Amino acid sequence: MTCDDSRIYLPAYLDDELDVAESLRVQKHLSECGDCRHAQDEQLALRSALRDPDLYAQPSADFSKRIEAAVRQAAKEEARSQRSSWFEWFRLGSFRWVPAAAALVIVTTIGALLVMNSLRSSHEQLIANAVLAGHIRSLQPGHLIDVPSSDRHTVKPWFQGRLDFSPPVPDLSELGWNLVGGRLDYVDGKPVAVLVYQRRMHNINVFLWPNHGSADDAIREEDAQGYQILHWNGAETTYWVVSDLNNAELLEFARALRGH
Amino acid sequence: MTSQEKLRRFEDQISPHLKSAYNLAKWLTRSHEDAEDIVQESFLRAFSAFESFRGDDAKPQNAKAWLLTIVRNTSMTWLKRNRNAHATIGFEDALEDPIERSPDPEEGLLISCDREQVRQALEQLPLDFREAVILREMEGLSYKEISATVGVPLGTVMSRLSRGRDWLRRILSTPQPVKPEEGAGLR
Repeated sequence: MTCDDSRIYLPAYLDDELDVAESLRVQKHLSECGDCRHAQDEQLALRSALRDPDLYAQPSADFSKRIEAAVRQAAKEEARSQRSSWFEWFRLGSFRWVPAAAALVIVTTIGALLVMNSLRSSHEQLIANAVLAGHIRSLQPGHLIDVPSSDRHTVKPWFQGRLDFSPPVPDLSELGWNLVGGRLDYVDGKPVAVLVYQRRMHNINVFLWPNHGSADDAIREEDAQGYQILHWNGAETTYWVVSDLNNAELLEFARALRGH
Repeated sequence: MTSQEKLRRFEDQISPHLKSAYNLAKWLTRSHEDAEDIVQESFLRAFSAFESFRGDDAKPQNAKAWLLTIVRNTSMTWLKRNRNAHATIGFEDALEDPIERSPDPEEGLLISCDREQVRQALEQLPLDFREAVILREMEGLSYKEISATVGVPLGTVMSRLSRGRDWLRRILSTPQPVKPEEGAGLR
């Protein structure tokens, strides 16, 4: 180690900031070099002058008591503010969080209802499309009816053996709705019964199948390319009625059918 | 940690370093009253920030360095607020060699340990160097701890210590005591 190196390392050596290997190198150089030993003595002299206990600044006699009191006061205030902040949290909490939670529940419920509704209505839209397609197909020559009869006692037995349910076949002739026959069709992945009624020259297709869901008898209308489609869920049977008849008359028919 | 528990741990770990806190504040501000106010403010800050201190009884030095960091920062804020003619001294470029003589190493040796002369020299030492020297010589902080306390790199700590000590040694080895207003080598 050169003297230049030694002088660079010397302060860190005296401050005990060198690792063992470096310290040993400095030590070795100091033992061999008088000039560097002299520099070391200078630095040690300054160190001991700076470490003179009388240079160490002393606070007032009661200073530590003053600080202790201040800190304890702060601790007391902190404890109090913590208590009150918990209190505030609970108190305000009950006012802030209840409406927030209620709003969350409402939003979630509305969201769920919308989703369910759109799922349901998209399912109903599918049925409406199938019913409409069945109705239009039925208007092709020879497709309207499989069992031509105005006699419900002929039509009703015809379905037996063709379906796993026995559809109601009401006689509405007294109200001006003439039964002209029945046929089988296929809606929503299952065979269904179709009753065909007529008023004047308008055909009315009534699609019906067992209702396994909830029943409310509420008549709903669906959009349908110039045709009227009405449907409701009866206690045992789901009805889909489609016709080119005007809305008011078809609604009258639907009510007659439902009330039967 | 409850408030009671916090107070107990604070008084165990931090309060013992009150004298160090005062010593640092006093040497940085050079004012007894200001130093006491700064220490009180620092202790209250330290208490409210005590949750952020992760020390243990096995390493009391860490608690001291942690407290001194707060004291140092509080002192610097105070100094900036109360900036006056002599408080502006504190930049590294303000430190110049007080003397270009003393070619004879024997003559350069610290002649006297006259306490008032040393005190005066230390008070005249620019702030950046003074704080490094105080933290090292009086408070016994390691280079690493000084680096963290002052917020400068390790190399800067070593350079400030080295230059500050050289400056003090040269001041104290001159035959005439330094007059505060003249502040040889200080601009």
